[in-house]
Amino acid sequence: MDLLQLGSYTFSSRLILGTGKFSSAAVMLQAVRASGAQLVTVALRRFNREQAEDDLFGPLSAIEGVTLMPNTSGASTAAEAVRAAHIARELSGSPFIKVEIHPNPQHLMPDPIETFEAARILAKEGFLVMPYITADPVLAKRLEEVGCAAVMPLGSAIGSGQGLASAAMIELIIRESSIPVIVDAGLRSPSEAAHAMEMGCEAVLVNSAVAVAGNPPEMAEAFAEAVAAGRKAFRAGLMQKSGSAIATSPLTSFLGANG
Amino acid sequence: MSLPDWLTNDRETAALAAMLSPDSSSSLEALAAESRAITLRRFGRTMTLYAPLYLSNYCSSGCVYCGFASDRKTVRHRLEPDETSRELAAMKKLGISDILLLTGERTAAADFDYLRRSVEIAAKTMQRVSVEAFPMSVAEYRALADCGCTGITIYQETYNRKRYEALHRWGPKKDFIDRLETPARALEGGIKNVGLGVLLGLSDPVEDALCLYRHLRHLGRTWWRAGMSISFPRMRPQTGGYEPPFPVDDHLLARMIFAFRIALPDTELVLSTRESAAYRDGMSSLGITRMSIESRTTVGGYHDTENKEQGQFEIFDDRTAKEFCLALRKKNIEPVFKNWEPAYNGPSKEQNSTTTNPSETKPCH
Repeated sequence: MDLLQLGSYTFSSRLILGTGKFSSAAVMLQAVRASGAQLVTVALRRFNREQAEDDLFGPLSAIEGVTLMPNTSGASTAAEAVRAAHIARELSGSPFIKVEIHPNPQHLMPDPIETFEAARILAKEGFLVMPYITADPVLAKRLEEVGCAAVMPLGSAIGSGQGLASAAMIELIIRESSIPVIVDAGLRSPSEAAHAMEMGCEAVLVNSAVAVAGNPPEMAEAFAEAVAAGRKAFRAGLMQKSGSAIATSPLTSFLGANG
Repeated sequence: MSLPDWLTNDRETAALAAMLSPDSSSSLEALAAESRAITLRRFGRTMTLYAPLYLSNYCSSGCVYCGFASDRKTVRHRLEPDETSRELAAMKKLGISDILLLTGERTAAADFDYLRRSVEIAAKTMQRVSVEAFPMSVAEYRALADCGCTGITIYQETYNRKRYEALHRWGPKKDFIDRLETPARALEGGIKNVGLGVLLGLSDPVEDALCLYRHLRHLGRTWWRAGMSISFPRMRPQTGGYEPPFPVDDHLLARMIFAFRIALPDTELVLSTRESAAYRDGMSSLGITRMSIESRTTVGGYHDTENKEQGQFEIFDDRTAKEFCLALRKKNIEPVFKNWEPAYNGPSKEQNSTTTNPSETKPCH
């Protein structure tokens, strides 16, 4: 069976769902169910132990077959992310931590230096670290070296819907990586998710595209199908692309017949 | 002191000016559609909620337009620590975990130490504590940040210096440049978020809006980690009977909100209970991403709901948190009470550096 492996955990679904931006917890839960996602990320800042109606963690942890991956969205330094990771593990019991450090709350681009530092510390402490990064092949290798469970390069800015703007860099990351590469952020349509999977991503993470769709559960299902189709295509082996038609008089005819 | 270059440079504001111009070619409907699409994409179907807590109405300034100005015959009062705790407990019962603490300009009755103690008390139970008080020094902002204050709201009121100096008749607030430089001092002191705004009605609203935009961009370039928000407070009738000389009607306010959303797709835009229920409901999916709820503009108004004192201004949207959330849900928007985690509060000394050794990290309080 074709399974996604993260640390010692395996998942048959390769779609990871984000849980912010939904119009209600009920719609979010429907979307999670419809997506078939087995790994779901939730921001620690949306854990609310004092008010059940405002809490995303409680209802998510009640879904069977779903592993939670808390994220540190809101942290602007490694120290803050490390503190958040400890709290999240205590509250959720999950070994996963999605390290999200975007010090500029406007454009939400991840800070590579702080992310590296937090990932190094948390991996050493035994977390399954999933760092959200810009699509930088060197940073990806550095994160692999310090023991991350995967790397999560962005397709484009969070919530931008600009798709795989960083496709060329993501291809480089995939080519060089020995750990799973998961595209996170920026995807707008299922076809883009399929494209990421065809390129060789091990999984994709989607949030905004589902949360703000006209019908979130249906869109979640569409993404699940696209991810599965893209994965199947990748495994089947895509036909080589050719830049031009093959010339009828090959440039090498002067070499004569082979042998 | 003369005005800084960044405040007068119109290179960056051409697009915003075009949208705000009375003979703009963009229809209000077209701006609304674009603003709505951007808001949905960037912020989703959510609305972050906060509530104000008036700590004190003592004031040393003579702002012509304000119900708390020092020459008004309003009864003066400040919350003592046990009263603050009682108010916070009453707010907590309403679900509130994100609060804005307010005072007037600095006075002996409500000085920095009083404010710092109040922040300490609030940070014990609230997830996110912001302050709208008086301009402070960098060291004072740092001390507030270390007690758990993450945001400062400081409105310039108007960026027209002549109007500003006429409206602020006496007191520390009379210093236009000092006020202008206050958000930068807060950020230097390790405060994470600054809220800017102009009090609409005091001066030419379009001129003020363009300056506000330049102020925000200037701060963003200098303090690249800063969280920033813009509020749109509009003059309402209040004690003293001041009539705003540049009234902003519903359409112009809407145009301003849409134009700011388009010009600043990632910036939090705030609308308070100064506006009516219908106006707030209408704006909740079109550009605004943060709203106040259950506002009481009197000192001690949460525990003592029968308080008949004069507030700083009149509340237009007086729905309860429950009623307001119901209205949001009807519009397919999720009210969010907690959208912050105190783990991200500091300490302030690391705010502007990349020092990350967690063993050096000490708790704030």
